[in-house]
Amino acid sequence: MIDAKKKIAIAMVMLAAPGLGIIRPAAAQAEPGKLARDTAKDYREAARYPASSHALKKGEADPIQEKRVPTRQTRRGPDDAEPAISVWAAKVSFEKGQPVDLYATLETNGKAIKNPAEITGEIVGSTGGVTALVAYRDDGQGPDRKAGDGTYSARWTPTGIEDAPAASYMVRVRARLANGDLREAAGGFLYSDPAAHLTGHYRDFLRDGNLVIAAEVDVAETGRFHLAGTLYTLAGEPIGFAQAAANLEPGRHWIELSYYGLIFHDRQAAGPYRLGTLALSTATRMPNALNDVVADAYVTRSYRVEQMRSASFERPQLIESARRLDLDAERAEREARGMRRQ
Amino acid sequence: MTFRRMTVPLLTALALAACAAEAGAQPCLIFVHGKQTDTNTYTSYTAARNYWVSGANDFVKTATKNFATSYYVVGYNGTRPYWDAQAAGVVANAIVNATNGGADGGGHRCAKTYAQGGTFWVIAHSMGGPVMDYILGNNDASDPNYNFNGPYDQVAQRISLAITVGGAHRGSQGADAVCLQSNILCSFIAIFIQSCDDATYWLRSSDDVQVRTFSNAPAKNIYLTGGYKAIFGASACLNGEDDGVVQYASIYACNGSATASYDNTNVCNNANKQEAGGFRNLDASHENHDEERNASNADTRKAIPDGNWTCGGSPCAPNTTVASAMTTAQYITLLY
Repeated sequence: MIDAKKKIAIAMVMLAAPGLGIIRPAAAQAEPGKLARDTAKDYREAARYPASSHALKKGEADPIQEKRVPTRQTRRGPDDAEPAISVWAAKVSFEKGQPVDLYATLETNGKAIKNPAEITGEIVGSTGGVTALVAYRDDGQGPDRKAGDGTYSARWTPTGIEDAPAASYMVRVRARLANGDLREAAGGFLYSDPAAHLTGHYRDFLRDGNLVIAAEVDVAETGRFHLAGTLYTLAGEPIGFAQAAANLEPGRHWIELSYYGLIFHDRQAAGPYRLGTLALSTATRMPNALNDVVADAYVTRSYRVEQMRSASFERPQLIESARRLDLDAERAEREARGMRRQ
Repeated sequence: MTFRRMTVPLLTALALAACAAEAGAQPCLIFVHGKQTDTNTYTSYTAARNYWVSGANDFVKTATKNFATSYYVVGYNGTRPYWDAQAAGVVANAIVNATNGGADGGGHRCAKTYAQGGTFWVIAHSMGGPVMDYILGNNDASDPNYNFNGPYDQVAQRISLAITVGGAHRGSQGADAVCLQSNILCSFIAIFIQSCDDATYWLRSSDDVQVRTFSNAPAKNIYLTGGYKAIFGASACLNGEDDGVVQYASIYACNGSATASYDNTNVCNNANKQEAGGFRNLDASHENHDEERNASNADTRKAIPDGNWTCGGSPCAPNTTVASAMTTAQYITLLY
């Protein structure tokens, strides 16, 4: 909450203000048709690529990593009091058999403080039952190996999984400060038992001017499987993304990631290329079971940019939407002109 | 010869009329409500319709310019997770029905079908945000949860865009508070969320339940607006600006921590969203979570980074007052 009293005061003044019509400062305008025009422009740009593969802009983060880096959940005390408590898990999802490492810090102005506190956690399944209790410690004996740095950690080793192939767990964390005050936060993690794993075998080739990287998977149980990979230059720049999904029977299969040729022209990037991040998941049901991300899975052969297709994909669905939006924009602009004339 | 003389102008007139009809239609607005504490909006059209009403104030009436624009009100089970068949599945089927010219529970239809050249804008409040994220982020055969429990692909093909109002794209710290079960300071949130039911559990702010973990960038743009009017008590549980139930990091689908603190000056711009593309800022309003969806408080609106208000031909600076007495429903009328 930011300055609630100020907000209440502003609200009182606004409630007391006369007039129910639309009042806005003369200088500010929501231009008629602008939203439709801007959207149409976005769609024409996106239509250059198929839905399954696109280029990453220079400096753009790896989209797979972005979703697999665990985030912190932070809460302050009553009346925005500090310290705040931040909690997080070592990973967004842990594969079956792996220990679950959990962390917590007490923070003032965003920095961990080293005051002693008693921190405990309840691990709660999606049905609401408490599965386990953990104690967070800052003695260097837990997953965080540095004692007294203000980072508390705990490890839970599950004995099974609540709902195969994946289960969501909430972690209710409570910290009792030295002065007796309480801080609480809710974190969480996925525990996954994927029905397929990457075998570590890959191959690459060109098809219709697109770069195909095939990854072999070993499927234990019939299901739907999703594979996504971010392609890098050897210099370490992420340049393209591709994904594929398939329904597969038990056994070994190849899943192909097709990197649309225009990527290499847009980024002016010649091969070899590095498959920097690769993420497999079992998507038969929700929540999906996530395999660990494989880093630097594979390096392709050399390719020249000229070998890749340079034509825009012209995704029909987006082109048609853009066309209709432009008509909407024209109509909105025409109506606005008509109203001004009146 | 006479026949030809008459036919040519007639055909020309018909062609012009067809063009005018295609260019003249306004988008049909499809309304998707938010989290519910019971199944009423799923079982009763009246409940789904009344979600948008408070006394004489009516979001749907206002946003449709006094019903001059055609509309369709969707009802789904707001106690189920956003990805559930009774949530995303029902919403997807309803949207397709709307685009086919079918009627909602109140007999309202879109003026033109998709096949007739109609355009469709979805207006979603609160949990309607992640519901739409999930549908639009799983619309292609290469997506992880493609057509998981409904025709997501047809929704993505047929709607032009979505506008979310107070959307819980990254969950709600209010849901965290309710599921923590012990923080009495956050008790006001219970009025809106009530219990840690399945929907609430999946609206927490941790990564394991976030819609972005299970979907890709939306196939159609999702435009973001929301409120910054605190609710006494409830807002104590939320970091940064908030509408009393959902914090800015979630309303504006920000990348990074869902509990990060933002305000009108520094909320994430379009380059720092939960997905690399497809999320776009609009503006912010001095409305709380209820007022956002029932048009009961015509109040101040502020510009935010990368928003769509212009000042003298350029984007308005963040936190500029762009309107002094305007509901979100009124604002939507300016957009089409």
